[in-house]
This record gives sequence, C-alpha cells and structure tokens, in this order.
Amino acid sequence: MQLQSFDESYVERLHAGDFRTQEHFVAYFSELIQLKLRSRLHSPQAIEDVRQETFTRVFAALRSGKIRQPDRLGAFVNSMCNNVLLEHYRASSRDSSLEDEEQQDFPAVSVDVLGTIAAKQMGEKIREILDEMPERDRRLLREVFLEERDKDAVCRDFGVDRDYLRVLLHRAKQQFKSLYLKNMAARPPGVLTAEKT
Amino acid sequence: MNHDEALRQKATEKYLLDELDPEVKDQFEEHLFDCQDCALDVRAAAMFVEQTKVVLSAPAVTSPVRVPAAAPARAGWLAWFRPAFAVPVLALLLAVVGYQNLVTYPHLMQAANSPQVVPWASVNVDTRGTATTVIKTRPGQGFSLLVNLPPEDGFASYAADLYNPAQKLEWSGAISTAAGEQGRQIYIPGRNRQAGTYTLVVHGITTAGESKEISRLPIDLQIQN
Repeated sequence: MQLQSFDESYVERLHAGDFRTQEHFVAYFSELIQLKLRSRLHSPQAIEDVRQETFTRVFAALRSGKIRQPDRLGAFVNSMCNNVLLEHYRASSRDSSLEDEEQQDFPAVSVDVLGTIAAKQMGEKIREILDEMPERDRRLLREVFLEERDKDAVCRDFGVDRDYLRVLLHRAKQQFKSLYLKNMAARPPGVLTAEKT
Repeated sequence: MNHDEALRQKATEKYLLDELDPEVKDQFEEHLFDCQDCALDVRAAAMFVEQTKVVLSAPAVTSPVRVPAAAPARAGWLAWFRPAFAVPVLALLLAVVGYQNLVTYPHLMQAANSPQVVPWASVNVDTRGTATTVIKTRPGQGFSLLVNLPPEDGFASYAADLYNPAQKLEWSGAISTAAGEQGRQIYIPGRNRQAGTYTLVVHGITTAGESKEISRLPIDLQIQN
C-alpha cells in the first residue's frame, strides 16, 4: 500500500491550504489522537475537545512557520497533543488557545472510517477469524474486550498468561490486516466518513 | 523506541491491552506518530478489536422454523439407529476404540515415559558473530538447545523467540534463571518439523520490564533419513 509521505512537499501543501492534504492530515492523525486519548480520558467530549485544540495549535504553528522538520510532523502533533492533554489535566482555561485566531472546526472523524460495503466485508472477515478460533479463545476475547473484565483475572480464570493473550491478539490482527490494508488502499487518501460537529 | 524494538516487544498488542508502562507508552506513541507502518498496525488492531466487540455482542442468528403444511411420514434422523445401520457402525467404532486403547495409547505412553536420547547443541548467548550451529536429527525427532546465558550482565530475566526457516515466529517463551545458573535447555519437538535455518533470538529483560535483544543465533537443522 502506498503511504503518504510526511515531507516538505506535504507540509507546503498543508500550509497552502490544499483541501485534500488537510483532509488527509486531519483524518490520519485524528485516529491516532483518539487512540492515544481514550486510555487517558473517559469522556468522549473531553477527547473531542483535546483533539480539536491539538489541531488548532498545530495549524497555528504551521501558519507561523514553526514546523521546521517536516519529516517529524508526526512527533510534532504528538507533542502538541501531550501539551494540550497536560493543560486539560490541570483544568486550565481554554483562553490560552489563541482566542484572536478564527476558530477552525475540524470535522470529527469517527475511528470507524469505513464505507458500508467495506464495513460489511470487515465484519465478515472478523466473524470468520473468530469462528476459526477455539471456543476458549473466543470467550477470552469476549471477556477482555467486550465485558472489559480485569485482564489478570480473565487470564487466571482461563489458565493462560498475559503473553498468551498478546499472541492471540497478534495472530488475529495479522489475519485481519491484509483485508484492512486492501480496504485502506482502495480508498483515496482523505476520503473518509466525516461528520461536521 | 525504534521500529524493531516496537515489533519485538509486540508493542501494538501491549498498547491496545494497556500493558505498557507510562514511560514506555509515551515512547511508543512518539514512535507511532512518526512511523506509518506502526500506525497502520495499531489502526488495524484497533479496528479488529472494535469490530470483534460488535460481532461478539450480536445475538446468535436462528433460522426460522418452517412448519410443512402436509409432510409425509418420515423416520427422521432416528432411522440411523436402526440395526441395519447401527450395528456395523458401532462394531467399527468398537474396533477403533479397542485398537487405540490396547495398542496405540500404551505404545505412546511407553514412548513418552521412556528416557530418550535426542541430539542437542550448546549455544552461547554472549557470542558475538554469526556462527551457525548445526544439528542433525531424524524425521520426527526433536532436539535440545542448551542455552548458555552470559553471567552477571544485569538482566533480571531473559526471553527467547524461535523463528522457523520461513522467518515466521514459531515460539516465544520466558527463560528464568536461578541465581548462579547460566544454562537452560530448550526442547524443540520434531513432529512436522522442516529442515532449514532456524533463528533463536534471545532478549534480556531489565528490572523495569524493558526488553533488549542480546543475541541472534542461527541453527541449521539437518534432517537425515
């Protein structure tokens, strides 16, 4: 699969306001930011607030030429997110975010970025992967991910260790990944299910 | 954290299972935001987890039962229990069960409980260089690796990964050591085993839980008839 390169050309297009580049940028990093935040913030609204503020500051930095290493764009976004998160923890006022700048709204991109057909294919593939598993492994995944029981307790009950759980997830992910990559490749960059907030 | 370390530590799985220490988690995220391969890996795994929840939470689909308006009388599945079918089938089953209990299982138990001499080789974990260890076995025969760990190198424990000739991870396991012991034996079963170059990768685990690759040992398995 051809991956988008975060290089000088990409940053230039982002800076110039190229729509597709901006759409790709927001979609790509929204997913990573949401994965990062969901283990740290429990409120969907808080996650959304931090995500929006992160992008606000990144674009502000872009406009003022503060992104000096285009190939480290990802690390810059991560670092900005960390800063916003720290401020959120300290429950500081949002007044520190550039009030005199026009607040740009970054469309909330769901982690589930699939079209209907792709989602159906993915669901079928996952059902197939789960059906091929021993019943015990299916129950293990159910208790860990669906019922969200304590993982140590679940492993004890099933007589396995944490490494078994990791290997189980790793193997299932590898089986699923080829279809996932195929679906991602079939979608042009930035074409996602986006809803205006 | 670099890409190889992320792969070796199964950082993606640990990240989604929330098993990474806060410091390691921060390091992985810093790498994740810059590494598109790892980002793709995490996104695929996260998608798998989310969709698995959907699939596992869906109620089981049951087919609607059709009641025939006028069905002819049928013997149904109980017809299989008529003597004409049941007797020869049961006789065959009895013969199979009998053979297994009287011949196969005792033979297997005897083989499993008898001392066995298997080929073995000693591998030194602190060896620099890529000298290949050669082991010769017969088809179906297992072999042992005596893993000599480096003395007093500061690691709390060790872990090993075994890769088959196709470079696919076949086995991972922890190697714990009692104080003063540097040798551990790993038995590799011979059933369905292919000849070729296997790779044993040994990692040192620090007291903080960080993993560091300390040796990559090629093993040339030669199967002779």
